[in-house]
Amino acid sequence: MNDLLADLIALVLLIGITAYSTAGGADFGAGIWDLLAGSSPRGREARELIDHAMAPVWEVNNVWLVLCIVVVWTGFPTLFQSIFASLYPLFAIALIGLVLRGAFFAFRHVADQPRARRMADLVFGISSVVTPFFFAASLGAIASGQVGGHPAITALQASFNPMSMAFGAVSVVATAFTGASFLVGDARRYGAGELVSYFRRRVIASAAALVVVGSIALVTIEVQAPSLAQRMLLGPGTPFALVTMVLVPLVAFLMWRSRFTLFRLLTIAAVGSLVFAWGFAQSPYLLPGRLTIEQAASPQSTEILLVVVTLGVVFVIGPAMGFLYYLDQRGELESPE
Amino acid sequence: MLLLDAETALLPSRIQMAFTLATHVLLVPLGVAMPAITLLMEGIGLWRKDPVALRIARRWSVVMAVQFAVGAVTGTILSFEFGILWPGLLGHYGAAFGLGFAIEGWAFFLEAVFIGIYLYGWNRLRPRTHFLVGLVLPPTGLLGSFAVLAANSWMNTPGGVTIQDGRVVDVDVAAALFTRALGYEFWHFTTALYLTAGFVIASVYAVAWLRGRRDHYVRLAFFVPFAIGALMTPVQLVTGDLSSRAVAVDEPTKYAATEATWSTQSHNPEVIGGFIDSSGQIHFGVPIPSLNSFLLGYSPDTVVRGLSSFPANTRPNVVEVNITHLAFDAMVGLGFVGFAVSLWFGWALWRKRDLPLSRWFYRLAACAGAGAYVAVELGWITTEVGRQPWIVYGVMRVGDAVTDAPASFVWTMLSVLVVVYALIAFFFVTLLRRLAARWRREDAGGSPEEGGVPYGPRPQSIEGRPEGG
Repeated sequence: MNDLLADLIALVLLIGITAYSTAGGADFGAGIWDLLAGSSPRGREARELIDHAMAPVWEVNNVWLVLCIVVVWTGFPTLFQSIFASLYPLFAIALIGLVLRGAFFAFRHVADQPRARRMADLVFGISSVVTPFFFAASLGAIASGQVGGHPAITALQASFNPMSMAFGAVSVVATAFTGASFLVGDARRYGAGELVSYFRRRVIASAAALVVVGSIALVTIEVQAPSLAQRMLLGPGTPFALVTMVLVPLVAFLMWRSRFTLFRLLTIAAVGSLVFAWGFAQSPYLLPGRLTIEQAASPQSTEILLVVVTLGVVFVIGPAMGFLYYLDQRGELESPE
Repeated sequence: MLLLDAETALLPSRIQMAFTLATHVLLVPLGVAMPAITLLMEGIGLWRKDPVALRIARRWSVVMAVQFAVGAVTGTILSFEFGILWPGLLGHYGAAFGLGFAIEGWAFFLEAVFIGIYLYGWNRLRPRTHFLVGLVLPPTGLLGSFAVLAANSWMNTPGGVTIQDGRVVDVDVAAALFTRALGYEFWHFTTALYLTAGFVIASVYAVAWLRGRRDHYVRLAFFVPFAIGALMTPVQLVTGDLSSRAVAVDEPTKYAATEATWSTQSHNPEVIGGFIDSSGQIHFGVPIPSLNSFLLGYSPDTVVRGLSSFPANTRPNVVEVNITHLAFDAMVGLGFVGFAVSLWFGWALWRKRDLPLSRWFYRLAACAGAGAYVAVELGWITTEVGRQPWIVYGVMRVGDAVTDAPASFVWTMLSVLVVVYALIAFFFVTLLRRLAARWRREDAGGSPEEGGVPYGPRPQSIEGRPEGG
């Protein structure tokens, strides 16, 4: 019974990470395109679009991140202790990136002088790259098996190794891909035809980059953690890995042919499956070779409360969030001032 | 650098936690209580068909949302700090201590979604629907504060766990959430939130009154929040008194620190101010004979347990005792000042059926917001510093929970955070000042301008958006 509960909590955690990677990823990706937009008139238009697409859901996505943290420390306390003991450098950098990003996004709207505004754009853009890179790097470090093991492995060694860097690189490209895809949707919604093709091209480019970077990352995993690579390609992770391999080119194809059916959903499925491929390949281990879901689980009563609270959320927050997005997409939401 | 590396990270970790929590706690009163006050104003507007009240509620909702966004940032930092600075606390007791945060996480989620709907729904939802949607907000805020206080209470009066070989093997969820301290912490802190939010909002309009604006807008925007704050002050004195007496039983070292009591004795004086030295001598304090014994047990014969009756390594050190004692005294003092101002307000309402007319009242009311914020900080200092050296009272020491990271790492992170927080504070204040300036222009008959807030209006097309902002 407790094993099942613990597995359920681990699944909730994986869904939380996936939600943050996709929904949050779209936000970070928009920041990356903001950074790359340059100062041409077209680039400025792209920035305006990014601003307006992000404003209403500006801080909502961070909630996923907080949820993941809370689920880990309540559901798997020893895991929490191990990853923070080993990976605090990564988390500190990601955290500061996150805060700078939020602060400077707000500051863009307050900045009067062009110079201040450019500085705000720059900090916002750079932190949009740094934050996903270092959050994903922590997952790579965990997957590499360097966390929670030998005391001889220093925090720096555990944090900065080929696999953590590879995961970070994949996440930056994946967020750029997600961001571009969602911006195509926003550009269509505002009827900005030229921006549609502007971001369409960027979806295709980042899909290609994702294939290249993803392949390099896979080789890195094969070298550093062969058993994980095997379980991703021939094991529990395989179906999800396949979905990603099919969907990324498919989304690029749809963009190339200007077919806009379900492309955002497919984008989310592509990136989400990538996260699932890692999660399922690594199960039942939370820390590969060292700590399983079962070993790390809190006592049963705590797990039950977590499940109850989660179910409550599914039934209360799910519809509420659906309502928010529904109103948002129908243009029913408007600033009061 | 090398020298710093050799130290443990305890000192910078404590400073960093104190700094980030002290900042976050300032955002909590408006975060939890402002939705209720705003809804009350919206309700008044709908019920009395008063467009001015609706305009006030609308503006407050913008401030509320901006505030919430900043609180979301500082709250996210705090949750990571538990891992970066205090991995031992969650690693050992996450299954029990973490429960509150699990609830808080979801409550926060719900609040974020509904603040979005409430804020962006003003123009499009029907007024009644909009008001009803808003009614979700006060309970989610209360649920969040209940959850966080459950966690804090667990640190003060841990319970509900079975420990074997230093590992939590069983958790009684209800007992771990509803520990003894929650009974008083929840009421004392929740009252503090409504009191502070009321006084802080009202203080803005007290300043407007002093600058000569006496119209319906300013009077209404002052009256409603100030009345809420004023109603809370007597409640706060009572819950504070009950808390203090319960702390004497639950955390006797903390109680002795708040009263700066060194030796166990009956007829214990209430020492106002002053400080204690390492031999237990009080300097500069004003002792009121037997009052402490009387307050604790309603009789001067009540024996109060002193700090010297505890082993030195289980009680706060002299510096911590002095911080706790002075913070506690200042908090209580501010509480009585707030109560006095509230009496003035109530007396004017009762006898003259009108707001007080004296400028001195509005000068005090203008300071009441800042005073309430200070009192919240002091109360938090009292409970946290007074618990030292424990992170979980009687169970785990702060030093056993701290990270193994080098001190230099934490010092670096702390300095970066100080700079970032200063930036956030600057942006936040600039944003609020801009909003205020724009609203003043609108009230003076100027045309509303667009832009200037992250929650800007959504254009139907990009090309249609005016430049600026």
